Amino acid sequence: MGESDRGDIQIAADLCKGCTLCIAACPAKVLVQGEELNRLGYYAVTYTGSGCTGCGICFYMCPEPAAITVRIRKKDDAVSDKSAA
Amino acid sequence: MPGMDRINLNAVETMKIGGRMTRRLLKGNEAVVRGAIAARCNAFFGYPITPASEIAEVASLLLPDSGGIFIPAESEIGAIQMVFGASAAGVRAMTASSGPGISLMQEGVSYLAGAELPGVIVDIMRAGPGLGNLGVEQSDYLQLVKGGGHGNYRTPVFAPNSVQEMCDLTIHAFEVADRYRNPVYVMADGALGQMMEPVEVPMTVSVQTEKPWAVTGEAATRKNLITSILLEHEKQEILITKLERKYQEIEKNEVLWQEILSEDAEILIVAYGITSRIARAAVELARAEGIRVGLLRPISLYPFPVKRLRQLGSKVYAIMVLELSSGQLVEDVRLAAGGITPIQLLRRTGGMMPTAEDVLQALKKMESESVGSKA
Repeated sequence: MGESDRGDIQIAADLCKGCTLCIAACPAKVLVQGEELNRLGYYAVTYTGSGCTGCGICFYMCPEPAAITVRIRKKDDAVSDKSAA
Repeated sequence: MPGMDRINLNAVETMKIGGRMTRRLLKGNEAVVRGAIAARCNAFFGYPITPASEIAEVASLLLPDSGGIFIPAESEIGAIQMVFGASAAGVRAMTASSGPGISLMQEGVSYLAGAELPGVIVDIMRAGPGLGNLGVEQSDYLQLVKGGGHGNYRTPVFAPNSVQEMCDLTIHAFEVADRYRNPVYVMADGALGQMMEPVEVPMTVSVQTEKPWAVTGEAATRKNLITSILLEHEKQEILITKLERKYQEIEKNEVLWQEILSEDAEILIVAYGITSRIARAAVELARAEGIRVGLLRPISLYPFPVKRLRQLGSKVYAIMVLELSSGQLVEDVRLAAGGITPIQLLRRTGGMMPTAEDVLQALKKMESESVGSKA
């Protein structure tokens, strides 16, 4: 998570089916398709590590119930769950 | 219920207008079910497949509460045959799947058409052939629009390009299906199924049409026969002639399309579904650079807006077809406007999407190539 980023994205790589809809939907363009196969044989999406605005659009776009978690930095710099699904 | 939290999270009810319309933030797949309930669909039979699974998920949560039933089928073949049964009993019934499941359903769709039964089938397309991947594609065009099952039948196909239309065209599909006693497809893709937009959902729209042909288990309907087996050749030909007349009526009455800046266009883009949104952005970019581009978006793919496309085709210098399949939509465009104006195909496949900028570059190339023909 970058110093000034509002959000952080955690992707459960073994639950991702690599549909890349989140990559297409991300306004900040901070998601990419990984190059390693996950346990199910899909190229899971990965977060580039900085630039997340915490908008959560990737979470809403994702067809998998638990693959993506977006965490938002609170004003006091603590990070809280936006969507723990 | 495990899925309940997720649905509540997605369905943010923002306001109610006179108790008739609710405005909600919905996924495309959920909008399909809300539309179906508004159209008084009372039965959903389905089998999950990404990116269509939420349709079955939401139907399982909402249909029982609205007086309907949800049955998880053992396969897509089972699901479409259950639609046949419910529809024969006069119930508005539907199923949904993605390309691989729709392929399995084709036999049942042919039987529905042969027995003249209504039914709504929603296809949330993914990339193919085979298992393919979950990427956004429009490669079921030929399967749905030209008919993937056996025999002499056609199926109306409606292609939404927004979450609102996912709801509206599902309602419309039920009406068309009942009006003509024929299966009807709603054809969208993974992006439309998964994305979220505000939707105004009507509480209920159409009144259930009378179905004197149905078999309801009561004495009055005991003599009704619903079958697609006609062993006498003469009777089969009579049925097919009747179906042909029905499809002529559909071609006359059920054509839907949308035009954007087409009146003074020199280049016309033809695109449906998710690509029509990319095309619309490209039209705006091109107009800002002084290139007069318009858009024709077929909403009904069968019946195809042949007449209108032919009219516009005779006015423009060139047509660009934008699709996420390897030259399927372009076949219908060529049938309508081939020989009238040059037709160019811009397509991506496999889950890849063109950007509006890509389309703009292709338009610029077409513009420079058509300079000679303008003189």
